[in-house]
Amino acid sequence: MTRLLAAAGLLLLASAPLLTGNPFFQHLMIMVLFWTLLGASWNLLGGFAGQVSFGHAVFLGIGAYVTMLSYLSLGVSPFLGMLAGGIVGAMFAVPIGLICFRLRGPYFSLATLAVAEIVRLVALNWEQLTAGPMGLLITHLPPVSFAGATIDWESKVPFYYLAVILAVSAMALTFAVSRSRLGAYLTAVREDIDSAEAVGIDTVRTRVVALALSAFVVGLAGGFYALYFRYVDPDAVFAISLSVEMVFIAVVGGLATTAGPIVGAVVLVSIGEIFRDRFQAGHLIFYGLFMMLVIRYLPEGIWGGLQRLFRDRG
Amino acid sequence: MALLEVRGLSKVFGGLRAVSDLSFALHPGEVLGLIGPNGAGKTTVFNLITGFLAPTAGQISLEGQSLVGLKPHAVVKKGIARTFQVVKPFRHLTALENVTLAAFLHERSRPRAQARAQQILARVQLSARSAAGAADLTLSEQKRLEIARALATDPRLLFLDEPMGGLNPTEIERACELVREIRQDGVTVILVEHHMRAIMRISDRIIVLHHGEKIADGAPQDVVQDRNVIRAYLGERAA
Repeated sequence: MTRLLAAAGLLLLASAPLLTGNPFFQHLMIMVLFWTLLGASWNLLGGFAGQVSFGHAVFLGIGAYVTMLSYLSLGVSPFLGMLAGGIVGAMFAVPIGLICFRLRGPYFSLATLAVAEIVRLVALNWEQLTAGPMGLLITHLPPVSFAGATIDWESKVPFYYLAVILAVSAMALTFAVSRSRLGAYLTAVREDIDSAEAVGIDTVRTRVVALALSAFVVGLAGGFYALYFRYVDPDAVFAISLSVEMVFIAVVGGLATTAGPIVGAVVLVSIGEIFRDRFQAGHLIFYGLFMMLVIRYLPEGIWGGLQRLFRDRG
Repeated sequence: MALLEVRGLSKVFGGLRAVSDLSFALHPGEVLGLIGPNGAGKTTVFNLITGFLAPTAGQISLEGQSLVGLKPHAVVKKGIARTFQVVKPFRHLTALENVTLAAFLHERSRPRAQARAQQILARVQLSARSAAGAADLTLSEQKRLEIARALATDPRLLFLDEPMGGLNPTEIERACELVREIRQDGVTVILVEHHMRAIMRISDRIIVLHHGEKIADGAPQDVVQDRNVIRAYLGERAA
């Protein structure tokens, strides 16, 4: 059943660009996949281990800037730059984790919020490196050939497939973690941190590993952002709203589930677009209302709720 | 040689000396009872030895190796497991998953960890409840689940913090039996317990704490007749 669903989903993802040539819809699909990627990576730490980060935009921004800067100043291929963005993101995450995971309860969440703000302000003011609020722009992406053909970066289709690969990999990673010892340890941390220590789990190290893994994937997403939009500035990639959106996607979809983030991304991106069309900035009211309804009536998220429904029936 | 040796152990919380210059040794295969009026510092002693609290002063060593400064998970790896006075199961997981998590300490593969967990659940007579959520177990079952979880880490030394608190007489009888069986398996046990009749029966030796200080250390029948102990529990007139 799950396998069938996964296969159908993959087929749909692979063929979607053939169904529509409309660039707006293509853009929407790319955004859904981008948010799936972010939601899934936030979920690794927030869903499994219950460690709510309000500062994941830090890793997105780092990934985006590393990709941009390594291409613009060092001439590194932006695709290698993306990988470097993930690695630097993970490296940045380790000291944050080592310090912040000594804090318990809401203090970790508050600390991540503070770190995100600090890094955003540094990026705004360190103009020699980041060009400050001016931002960085890529005017031309280097040609890459694939299967004998040169990829046309002016089209959205190659970005779409790149996003599919990233999002599906992130979901596969989530699935692998849920089956592994690491996943079990993260669940133990979420359930009771004293008991986790009492059965021999190094709760700080376990969470640092999860955070680094999560930051790596978010860093890759940041690299993708830089290539797709070809422009980054501190308020675009280090914004608190990005961090919060990742939390929303994971919560609406279903915490600690593999498919939850894609469900959350589809629903929230659609709601955002539908209401923005009619109410401009007022669409946030509906967005907020929807969040409240989900948290009140579907605390395990949409996918979590569906899973329960099927379990109870069968 | 002593399995566990505690020397000059003290813990100060602000102005309160919760544990004061406590020394004792624990011998392999022994069942040691730790008793004392409420607030005597018994649980603090457990927390100090298992790494949940850092001592203000003193030495703790397991077969000559110091345990001071180790985090709780590192102490567990040395072979000291514990239960909590107020049970702390992984509430949203099943009984089997609870114990499997502990078995992962020595067994990386999930099927083998699970098989080991099944064995231990049978040992504490929880096999029938292995698929039940930990939060749905009765208190007596949750206490046994905690013991099972501790046993799954394969300890040499087991700290039980009030394993009989809140249990009825039949359940207490079973708990005593379980402690005896655990000891027969070669695990040294130290337990805090308020149920006097039970602890007198299963302990080889008893240490009495009062205001963080050791006031008696000896065989159960000697300790109950100790004047200091009677004074601590019942007051000056009774002594």
